[in-house]
Amino acid sequence: MGLLRTLLVVALWDLMKLKNQKVFIAMRFAWFTIQILVFARAVSYIVSQVVLQYTGGVEYYYFYILGVYTTLLYSASIARGYMIADEFDDGIVEYHLSLPIRRNLLAVGRVLGSSVSTIIFTIPMMLVVYYVLGVCNLAIVMVSLLSAFVFSMGIVSFVILIVFSMKSTDLTDIVVGAIDSLLVRLSTVFYPLPVIAASGIAPYYVAAVLNPISHASDFLRILVFPEYHLIAPYGPVALILYIAGFSMGLLILAIEYYEKRLEAGGWR
Amino acid sequence: MSVRISSFFREAYVVSLRDLRRFWQNVYWLAGQVAMNIADLVIFGLIFRGVVNPQLIPDYIRFITPGVLCLSIFISAFTIGREVGVELRREVTHYLVSLPISRSALVAGRILGGVLRGFIYQSGFIILAVLIMGFPTTEKWVLTLTASILLVATMSSLSITVSTVTRDFNLQAAIRSLVYFMFFFVSNVFYPEKALQARLGSAAPIAYYSPVSMTVSIYRYCFGYLQSVDLFFNLTGLTAWCLISVLLAYRLYIRNLTR
Repeated sequence: MGLLRTLLVVALWDLMKLKNQKVFIAMRFAWFTIQILVFARAVSYIVSQVVLQYTGGVEYYYFYILGVYTTLLYSASIARGYMIADEFDDGIVEYHLSLPIRRNLLAVGRVLGSSVSTIIFTIPMMLVVYYVLGVCNLAIVMVSLLSAFVFSMGIVSFVILIVFSMKSTDLTDIVVGAIDSLLVRLSTVFYPLPVIAASGIAPYYVAAVLNPISHASDFLRILVFPEYHLIAPYGPVALILYIAGFSMGLLILAIEYYEKRLEAGGWR
Repeated sequence: MSVRISSFFREAYVVSLRDLRRFWQNVYWLAGQVAMNIADLVIFGLIFRGVVNPQLIPDYIRFITPGVLCLSIFISAFTIGREVGVELRREVTHYLVSLPISRSALVAGRILGGVLRGFIYQSGFIILAVLIMGFPTTEKWVLTLTASILLVATMSSLSITVSTVTRDFNLQAAIRSLVYFMFFFVSNVFYPEKALQARLGSAAPIAYYSPVSMTVSIYRYCFGYLQSVDLFFNLTGLTAWCLISVLLAYRLYIRNLTR
């Protein structure tokens, strides 16, 4: 099989799983809608207008819903990792290892397939966000989809590495849950960077600056509201390069694990 | 008859002790969760406080502290559901039904286990609430305790119900999150009723019927943030939520154990 065909076959494995996830997608859509229409609207009501000087003039509601969309991308990517963890528990990994496919292609195919699935999974929510924001520029939509895909690749690779390290679905659930809470809190999802800086908690500020979730959400904000660039510490090119570097680095590590640690039950 | 009743309670107690012992096995998870809850308070207190309109909420940390008490109950009580879900998937339920105890004692024990976990986990946050908001009177302590018992029993039962609805690990996590979003976001935990009225309009009263809103209102009254609340409405509503949730958990868990 050619390289591309092999990748396609592996990626299709993840894509086909989406067909059985209609209830799951509906549920995610329901809670996302609650978050956008109830929580975000009520929270933006209690936020003072002072916040506008920290968001470059972007309304807090708009600022927040792009952050929520980024956390959704993050958690949907993490969920793909849970599925891979379940496959390990069910012994499906042995079947994958027996396929006449190179291990590195298997790793790249799984990450690509999971990321494409994440994007398809989150499209309904993205459309809601862009409808609320009034975005109808196709170029913005395409660039944001591309950046979401690159970001998702990094998160899927990251969770695959955790699954390999924990070697247990239950432990993975606990560890990922803890990292999940920490990463989302220590990011610019809820608060703009100048607000975090003004709090005077240096470690929090540093964590928020280094956090890939901050970069992904700020990139989307600059894309939709160019004026947000005024308060972001980095420009859109630096932000997307950071996300790309983060994703490529973790993908290489995931390939390394697939190639060297899976054989002979090394994941157990 | 009295022998049967005492035997039922003894069996339920033994099952709940098993769940309590298992609770301590995940020390790192517990430490992580406590750190997260405290981090929430610190983040809300130091950062979100700075952007909240002081005319609506003069002190956000005092406003959110009772909500964090409810959050701690939700987190700890839902651990029991997570374990019930894992047991169903791994078919540990076969071992459980083979034990020489009645099925109803088993279910009661699981719910009691969730209640005990909730209490233990919440106790640290109660101390934190006292430090932030002041010491309630004896009468208000009784009210706080009653509200906690009712909410933790409701949440433990709901978590068991959710975990027995499906064996799919991902779907269980998704339902758990949906329950969280419905109870906490459509409530007065993060924002006052005025904000809900402004944003939800005629749909705002839905939030008043949430068990979380009822408990938060009672806590806010007990810790002196609110001068008065409708205690009859809140306590009756919480009791109703508790009874319905326990009955639902009982029926669903029994059904899943025996099929």
